Amino acid sequence: MTRGGDVGDLQEQADQEFLDAACLALRAQADASPDGAGAGDAAVGGAVDDAPGTRSDPLRELGWFDLLPELGDRDARVAALTLFRAQGRELAGTRALGALLAQPFLAAAGLPPDAAVATISRTSARQGKRLMVVGDVADPAGAIGMAGTALLIDRPGHGAAVVPADEIELWPVAVSGRLELHEVIHGPADWVPTVDEEHAAVARARARFLGRLAAALEILGAAEGALALAVAYARTREQFGRPIGTFQAVRHLLAWAQTDCVALEKVTTAAAALDGVQAAPPRHDEVVKALAGRNGRRVCERALQVLGGIGFTSEHTHHHFHSRVLALDALLGTSAELTHGLGAWLREADDDTTASALWTAPRLPLLPSKS
Amino acid sequence: MLHITRSSECDPYREDVDAYRAALETWLATRPPVFEAAARPIASYEQRVAVSCALMQVLFDQDWARYGWPEHLGGLGGDIRHRAAMWEALARHGLPAMALFEHLEILAPTLVALGDPGLIGQLLPRFLRGEQLWSQGFSEPEAGSDLASARTRAVAVDGGHVITGRKIWTSWARYARWCLVLARTGTPQERHRGLSAFVVDLTHPGVEVRPIEQANGTDELAEVTFDEVPVGPERLVGELGGGWRVAMHILAHERGTFGWYRHSFLNRQLLENREQGTPAGDALLGNALLDLAAVRAASGAAVRAHAAGGTLGPRAAFVKLMLAASEQAVNDWTLASVPDLAVAPNDDHTAVCRQDYLFSRIVTVYGGSQQMQLDTIAKQILRLP
Repeated sequence: MTRGGDVGDLQEQADQEFLDAACLALRAQADASPDGAGAGDAAVGGAVDDAPGTRSDPLRELGWFDLLPELGDRDARVAALTLFRAQGRELAGTRALGALLAQPFLAAAGLPPDAAVATISRTSARQGKRLMVVGDVADPAGAIGMAGTALLIDRPGHGAAVVPADEIELWPVAVSGRLELHEVIHGPADWVPTVDEEHAAVARARARFLGRLAAALEILGAAEGALALAVAYARTREQFGRPIGTFQAVRHLLAWAQTDCVALEKVTTAAAALDGVQAAPPRHDEVVKALAGRNGRRVCERALQVLGGIGFTSEHTHHHFHSRVLALDALLGTSAELTHGLGAWLREADDDTTASALWTAPRLPLLPSKS
Repeated sequence: MLHITRSSECDPYREDVDAYRAALETWLATRPPVFEAAARPIASYEQRVAVSCALMQVLFDQDWARYGWPEHLGGLGGDIRHRAAMWEALARHGLPAMALFEHLEILAPTLVALGDPGLIGQLLPRFLRGEQLWSQGFSEPEAGSDLASARTRAVAVDGGHVITGRKIWTSWARYARWCLVLARTGTPQERHRGLSAFVVDLTHPGVEVRPIEQANGTDELAEVTFDEVPVGPERLVGELGGGWRVAMHILAHERGTFGWYRHSFLNRQLLENREQGTPAGDALLGNALLDLAAVRAASGAAVRAHAAGGTLGPRAAFVKLMLAASEQAVNDWTLASVPDLAVAPNDDHTAVCRQDYLFSRIVTVYGGSQQMQLDTIAKQILRLP
């Protein structure tokens, strides 16, 4: 009886250690880049001018790509996904999200996991369907390895293709968040699918599940980062002769924000332990992603309220966390559209489907069959 | 009544929660009449209590409700995960609420851990079988959130203590035979260190239970007065002066693992009201789903911690806050889907919707108000000055 619990604790401890290690590795990379932690700010204008080969690659240093073929294994999966929480906390910009999204397609094509970075499709009300790339893929001359040189484009109904970067034109998007973001403005001239539609359909479902989970974890990390700033500020900032963290109104704002973080943490970590889309309850990736967007935004808003005016300046880090949450909420399904869609689906689904959506979620990790 | 611990050397369910759950679900799928009677909506709270007790009796007699409780106290062994699986299965198959058996999961784990084994060995099976129910005497007219200022006194006499005082908001006291009373055995200046917990027989002369008419009509709350009610030494739960520890043990359940049980019945509420939903309520419904997923994950972790012999400690406050938010989210959607509950609660289903909706507006008050939970987090988790 006790043994099962102890194992759980050890597992949590191991997961925590990986999170700490990932944070350190990402921080070291940021510190090593020419303008320190502000490296991402330069990317806001798209002006990444590192000389080829000077950038270290934290994903390789962490052995992150080695985890991707092992996602069926619980520990490997949790470690691979934990990177995103670290990335959110450290405001690091890697190509991990696109690489994770590409993995099921690359595996289907027999290609190595660092062979390409997936583009993310979104629909703009004004511009229609757009493809986006998250992370440092535009790094010149492939200094970070092969992943810098190819993109994976998925076209539902037409399969997916690995396309050399020189056949695609990328345009940098200027948002804060220390997030390197590009839009594809010219796609490949010819469409030659690398993965046919039959296999792509399977890979797509897997990729979407993983990608939403990863984005949710990165939102969690960014929300935790914003909250940590606000908590530290509330301890030191004095008004009326005492720290503002002694005022109940401020304490409650922060306690609510922490509750939203914990809720998201519990849901994302339980989902990460599920073995992919097949083991999850129906549409669970949407639940996780919608919760992340909603709670992540709420945490940033409460943190901003505590920080006051200084938190709204460009010199303060809060807006980077906030912008990153907003950007990730906008990709792979916004919380608004997913939440509404889940409600509509739940209302119309049959009883068995609804029951499994409501009652299955962390069943396996909660109740191991033998203690 | 005597319950003989049966030979359980090769009990297939004690060590295997999945097998236990599967067998229970097979039994429930036969739709036993006693389960059907408890599964339909009933506006009258008294009737609801009656059908719940009838169901508990059958669940006990057929052994389902004995798993998760120690063998030496009338259970069949196993741990909290059996109970978590049982209540989930009951909700999943259509039971709308735990009614007053919520106290089974809030109080009984503490009675088992800290009560006199002779006394609890007698009383636990009767509780499990729905014969003799329990209430929890914590709050007082002058001690709500500030529980440590409780004034009810327990004066030492030959052969035990004599209890005098007044408790309020005592859930289910009018249906209960027993009450776990937090009383002052030390001085008021000792605050929480001067409290002890006693098991009091509510049928004893000197006890008066006055039901409180509630705004939602379910009237499960009561005011209980004790006028020199004697209790023997075996009625002390925990140590003399250790009442605060007993209260914290109970609140750890009321705020942590309780989320697991309650969310399962909120899932049931959502499932039951679905057909009355309209597209206008879809965003509310989606939001409720997100909140329930959060409670499930967080309270599941609480159940796991308790199964391993630990507790969440102050982190139980998170579960309590999430649970209250989810209960309000589900009922926000219920109100949008069943506006009849506000103007024409004429049938049992709509009447129950109304009771549930109104009750959901006060879930931020009971079991430690929302503000107290936030204070706990600010102080003990965030370590704010």
